[in-house]
Amino acid sequence: MWQEVAEVVMRSLLISGMATVLAASWSIPIAMILTAKESEFRRTLLDVANALVAVPTVIIGLVLYLLFSRSGPLGFFGILYTPIAITIGQAVLITPLIISLSASVLRETKSGIWEMAVSIGATERQALITMVTESFPRLLTTILVGFNRAIGELGVALMLGGNIKGFTRVMTTVIALEVSKGEFEFALTLAGMLLLVTFTVTAIVRKVGKIA
Amino acid sequence: MIELRNVSFAYVSEDVLKDVNLTFGLGVTAIIGPNGSGKTTLLKLAAAIYRPRMGEVLIDGIDPWSASETVRISARRNVVYVHEKPIMLRGSVADNVAYGLRIRNVPAEEVIARTEEALEMLGIKHLANERVQTLSAGQQQKVALARALAVRPKNLLLDEPTANLDKNGRETFMELIKELASRGVCIAIATHDRLLALKLTDKIVLVENKTVTFVESPEYKYTE
Repeated sequence: MWQEVAEVVMRSLLISGMATVLAASWSIPIAMILTAKESEFRRTLLDVANALVAVPTVIIGLVLYLLFSRSGPLGFFGILYTPIAITIGQAVLITPLIISLSASVLRETKSGIWEMAVSIGATERQALITMVTESFPRLLTTILVGFNRAIGELGVALMLGGNIKGFTRVMTTVIALEVSKGEFEFALTLAGMLLLVTFTVTAIVRKVGKIA
Repeated sequence: MIELRNVSFAYVSEDVLKDVNLTFGLGVTAIIGPNGSGKTTLLKLAAAIYRPRMGEVLIDGIDPWSASETVRISARRNVVYVHEKPIMLRGSVADNVAYGLRIRNVPAEEVIARTEEALEMLGIKHLANERVQTLSAGQQQKVALARALAVRPKNLLLDEPTANLDKNGRETFMELIKELASRGVCIAIATHDRLLALKLTDKIVLVENKTVTFVESPEYKYTE
């Protein structure tokens, strides 16, 4: 049993970790663009991102399933029911969350750090870099929130991964499966592991943020 | 020299300052007025942090808002505005003081020398390697001032610079301002500190009812 638990935990960490890195790589630059200058268009985009945070995971799973299914527009990639599909799905899922939280962090920093940087003679680019550098520990926390959401979600992993043993099975899908089979011991073990993983990652990221 | 010509500014829709005509020339100018009258806004307009809704701001004859980005940055670099509440970057006191020099690509040896010089002027050289988060508000204010002085600005705009300073700190600050003014730095200070305004300044500007007025005789105004 423990070998299977270890395998599932490692796979979950890998998929959700990749999804988080992927989502952060585009979400933070988007948040920077949205907060760099005030405009009605940018405010509207931010409102859309805020609204998308609350979209249920099954809806994102369904939309991506239709896109990645053999007859869908992206079916030729053949990635449905693979870890890649789950990674992309989770990245899409947490994108609005990271944009929304990062934009909020950057907006707060902007009123102080941005103004100080500009007033001491920074170019807009230098002020933006200073703003992001100074926000780093808090941006790290927003990424962490994204990771915790990704690793704990079920809808996308189930619909795009198919819960294939030894291939796309992750912690949440295994917990759901084992509960449906009445195997509560295994489900509880994995639930404990899921909590342990999220707590450990949170502690590590907070420590890194403090050091930075 | 900074000149404001027919400047109006609004945060949302209603003007906070309307049709302001003002010149910050050589010497020290004090900006006084009740809370919320627009003293900080006036300084931020003069520092080209805020863009006026109407009118123009000329820094040494250049309107930064109608110039190219290179010219705008160059004009802005002649002015330094220091916030009332000191805004600190993560890191040491020296890192903070050196910030303005680093963004100007000043050579490393010169950065060190000018940072030390600025720290010495404010009497905080012994704090150079301290983390800014561990400092008191007064010490942070001195760091913010040192950061401004390190870049040797032609125009220095200070928002309530003595707010967090004790008696000794204020006296040192006043001496420093006198010295800078004698070196030809154009200084404007928004303040509630009457003593500071009376002792240091050549001119007083009163900000009230969305506009500014020069007060010819500071003593008279305060008595009034």
